[in-house]
Amino acid sequence: MEGSYLPSGRSAGLPGRPTESTNLADILERVLDKGIVIAGDIQINLLDIELLTIKLRLLIASVDRAREMGINWWETDPSLQSAEGDNGDREELEKENRELRERLERLEQRVGLEQGREEPSRAG
Amino acid sequence: MLDELDRWAARRAPELLARAEAEAVEDLKRALLKAALRREAQARREPVRPAAAERPAAAEARPGPPLHEPAAASAGDGLWAYCITRASDPPRIDGVHGSTVERVESDGLAVLVGRVPLSEFGEDGLRRNLNDLDWLERVARDHEAVLERALAGGTIVPLRICTIFTDEEGAAAMLTERRSALDTALDVLDGREEWGVKLTVDRAALEAAARDRAPDDLDQQLEGQSAGGAYMLRRRQERQLREAADRLAGGLAEDVHARLQDWATDAVVNSPQNPELSGHEGDMLLNAAYLVEAAKVERLHELVEELRERHSELGARIELTGPWPPYNFVPRTESALA
Repeated sequence: MEGSYLPSGRSAGLPGRPTESTNLADILERVLDKGIVIAGDIQINLLDIELLTIKLRLLIASVDRAREMGINWWETDPSLQSAEGDNGDREELEKENRELRERLERLEQRVGLEQGREEPSRAG
Repeated sequence: MLDELDRWAARRAPELLARAEAEAVEDLKRALLKAALRREAQARREPVRPAAAERPAAAEARPGPPLHEPAAASAGDGLWAYCITRASDPPRIDGVHGSTVERVESDGLAVLVGRVPLSEFGEDGLRRNLNDLDWLERVARDHEAVLERALAGGTIVPLRICTIFTDEEGAAAMLTERRSALDTALDVLDGREEWGVKLTVDRAALEAAARDRAPDDLDQQLEGQSAGGAYMLRRRQERQLREAADRLAGGLAEDVHARLQDWATDAVVNSPQNPELSGHEGDMLLNAAYLVEAAKVERLHELVEELRERHSELGARIELTGPWPPYNFVPRTESALA
């Protein structure tokens, strides 16, 4: 095996040295999501683990991915809902988006009217 | 008969709505993620486990009074399984932080295990701990470190974290039960290495490249336009620029992946990583793993270098990491093992 490209200090050859500097995202996406799955003696429902680690999965993958997996804890998680500013952020965003959309529509309408000025008036 | 305005409106409305919606979803996504991360950070700051800092790493945890559990919850030790190797491979590897990695052998196979307290790694403990990012990071890094050591000694089949047996008999029984599937997995992985490739690019660089390549005839088109017409033209051009940048990104990822995939034994494309965790800058266009013949690894480095040069104009960054334990190239479900 020629030179290791894991930015882990593995080649430093310090016995027992863990891979402190390897990108955590690289490790988590592998150990959480990959590797052979075998049911051990400790009966952990793998589905449970999927659900329990969803918050961590969010750190790895995207919200879209979580949605694809049918997970939407944030929509019902009271502590997140009540977390400082979250609701405000969301409402603010929705409001801003609504306003922008309305503004866009008004602008498009005006432009459309301007362009359509030479057209015959609406037949009704 | 529909007049021009109605047709125009009908044509444009779905697109406008879709775009506004996409923008809203993007914003919402960012806000939610920020909230989730903030909670994670808050949870980590909470001094619920005063002894956490001095606590030894998970893989070296020894039997003894659990640090944050009522003593009654203690139920002895379990065996955390790291990976499977052939029994003929080097018999000993160093553990993490001086801990011991033991081998349980059966039927020509061996599973590497470490002792863990069930108070922390039992069902209840895991349920709680898996949601603690600090805990998970420690365990994940320890798991990875042991696998890397084992990998240096021979072919391994990585196990997903949290595979825990009550004793040696349980681990040995698993080896016997899954013998043929594990043999197959080991055979597939013999003499091959997993390498990771991530492609990132800055959106601004892509859009600049798209602008350079687009015909610059806006001024010509703007001539004689009303203010409204000019506005629409500009908007259309912005949209076309975004689309052209998207196409460049897609082509870039496709080219890099196609070249490597053609050449590798096997390939797996994963979701782009979250920048909050990985710390990468720009857009991650490709996050893939390739299974490569060990003899061809040198060529892999050359190939990546060629791709870097070929796409340097677009500001593409290609990161190559490995060799990794072959997490991405083993069967992932119980049924695949049956």
